[in-house]
Amino acid sequence: MTSTTQKTRAQTGPAPTTRRASRFLLLVAALIVAVVVSTWLAVSIGAVHVALPQTWGIVADRLVPGVLPRTWTPVQEQIVWEFRLPRALLALLVGAGLAVVGAVLQALVRNPLADPFLMGISSGASFGAVLVLILGASALGGLSLSAAAFAGSLLALALVYVLAQRAGRLTPSRLLLAGVALAYLFQAAYSFVLQLAQSGRAAQQVLFWLMGSLGGARWHMLPLPAVVLAAGVAYLLAQYRPLNALAAGEETAVSLGVNVNRFRATLFVLTSLLVGVLVATSGAIAFVGLIVPHAARLLVGADHRRVLPVTALLGAVFLQLVDIAARTVNAPQELALTIVTALFGVPFFLWLLRRRSVDRAVSVT
Amino acid sequence: MKLDLRAVSVSLDGHPIVHEADLLVDDGEFVGLVGPNGCGKSTLLRTIYRALRPSAGLITVDGDDVHRLPARQAARRTAVVAQETPPDLDFTVAEIVLMGRTPYRIAPAADEEVCARSLDRVGLTGAAGRVFATLSGGEKQRVLLARALAQQTRLLLLDEPTAHLDIRHQVELLHLVRELGIATLAVLHDLNQAAAFCDRLYVMNAGRILAGGPPEQVLTPDLISQVYGVRAVRRTQLVFERLKEER
Repeated sequence: MTSTTQKTRAQTGPAPTTRRASRFLLLVAALIVAVVVSTWLAVSIGAVHVALPQTWGIVADRLVPGVLPRTWTPVQEQIVWEFRLPRALLALLVGAGLAVVGAVLQALVRNPLADPFLMGISSGASFGAVLVLILGASALGGLSLSAAAFAGSLLALALVYVLAQRAGRLTPSRLLLAGVALAYLFQAAYSFVLQLAQSGRAAQQVLFWLMGSLGGARWHMLPLPAVVLAAGVAYLLAQYRPLNALAAGEETAVSLGVNVNRFRATLFVLTSLLVGVLVATSGAIAFVGLIVPHAARLLVGADHRRVLPVTALLGAVFLQLVDIAARTVNAPQELALTIVTALFGVPFFLWLLRRRSVDRAVSVT
Repeated sequence: MKLDLRAVSVSLDGHPIVHEADLLVDDGEFVGLVGPNGCGKSTLLRTIYRALRPSAGLITVDGDDVHRLPARQAARRTAVVAQETPPDLDFTVAEIVLMGRTPYRIAPAADEEVCARSLDRVGLTGAAGRVFATLSGGEKQRVLLARALAQQTRLLLLDEPTAHLDIRHQVELLHLVRELGIATLAVLHDLNQAAAFCDRLYVMNAGRILAGGPPEQVLTPDLISQVYGVRAVRRTQLVFERLKEER
């Protein structure tokens, strides 16, 4: 670097690339701290108060028995270890997963409005899950429930894909309309199934779960979403270049050597799988997949190498805070998560609608 | 590097758009493709970079059928500067140019060097960190050219690269491409420009290639009136050349 460029840099501050890179690392570090702190809070807050140091003690004691003196009661231990910790960890997984799915869908269809909930995928997954819950007998988070939810989300996405195609090309406005229409169709379908179901109490529980709840979280529900999410994010990070190319446009991606049809099919299956697995544990939670990727892009730009990790971490923190709010605002009653995410999501969505970019994306047919 | 089209036909939605086109671009040649709107020249170009499949005929680059090559291999031989609407997302210039490395294995140090060199060749070294959407039209086209250069291909396809540019930036861009010495096939609108910059020209009309050869042989008043329905009048005209002390 010559002295003249250094001089101009000194005047205008560091080059935007360097600034972005250092801001990215700082942001990731801050978000990891936020994940830990929010999870810590989530574990100690609740009807039975457990002081912050005690929650550490309980977790440490479980991992290395006898490492700390016991300053807590067995009830506190049971509440923290059996209920709150798995719930808090599930909140992280679901938040990260839904946000990442939103980011991928937005790149995939080049539409800022893409989101698993808006595009009918979550409703499809819910439909599959409700069928299994009402007709068969499956526990929350069970494998058959996940499989049914996956089948439902894949069916929904395949239908959206087929309906939105015109002469072999995807058109964003048709995609969005097909998704919204299918979301209604699947909602009607599972509502119908619920109404038919005789057991009113079970139906009510399912209904509450459908609007998003982490209340059923147990340890045995964590491994499947954790593995699918980790594998999915690892794959997506390795594919950041094709993702960027696809976000730049379908023809651009083709000319850059991306096998667009195969890559898109892979992404569809991956997002369906993630949504299916997540919906099976926590129901359909709206707006996380819509707003978190946009927030991430505002922070780090459009490059998926940065967007994906920040989206995942941001989504995890966001849903953790949402779940804390859902548990405490109207305690001892719990609010459905979609109520809380919508309170954040709708204003953001409306702000997004006022931006020119959305007009452009929706009017391209 | 040699691009060879033999009797290539293309249909869109079942409508035939291009009929049995024969076209050749030899190593280092700058070849223009001209014709009225809707004559099928962009469709033909898109078929060469695999956005469309031909319904008949053969397209080879260096002797290999383009549509049988793996996607990555094809993108290592042919790069495109098309007129697509730029992404809505705020990619930086450096990120856009790095996209040119998509067909290659990720190698951060080498990739960075190739991208820096590409940006340098289009004269935008200082702009790496700027957001693409904030650039002027001329700068955007040069960034897209840098992305194509980062693909390190020996064949370049240009689809009306100067459409939205003022006269100075049009001349600059075409000069830049000429100086690269890469075999180039360019869809161009301005016949005077095509005549000034191209080694050879192909004229298309209604999906057929009517003529091909050096500009002065091809752009006859007869052919122009037949193809465009206008009368070509030879007059003393202004010729726009790039100033030597540019940039």
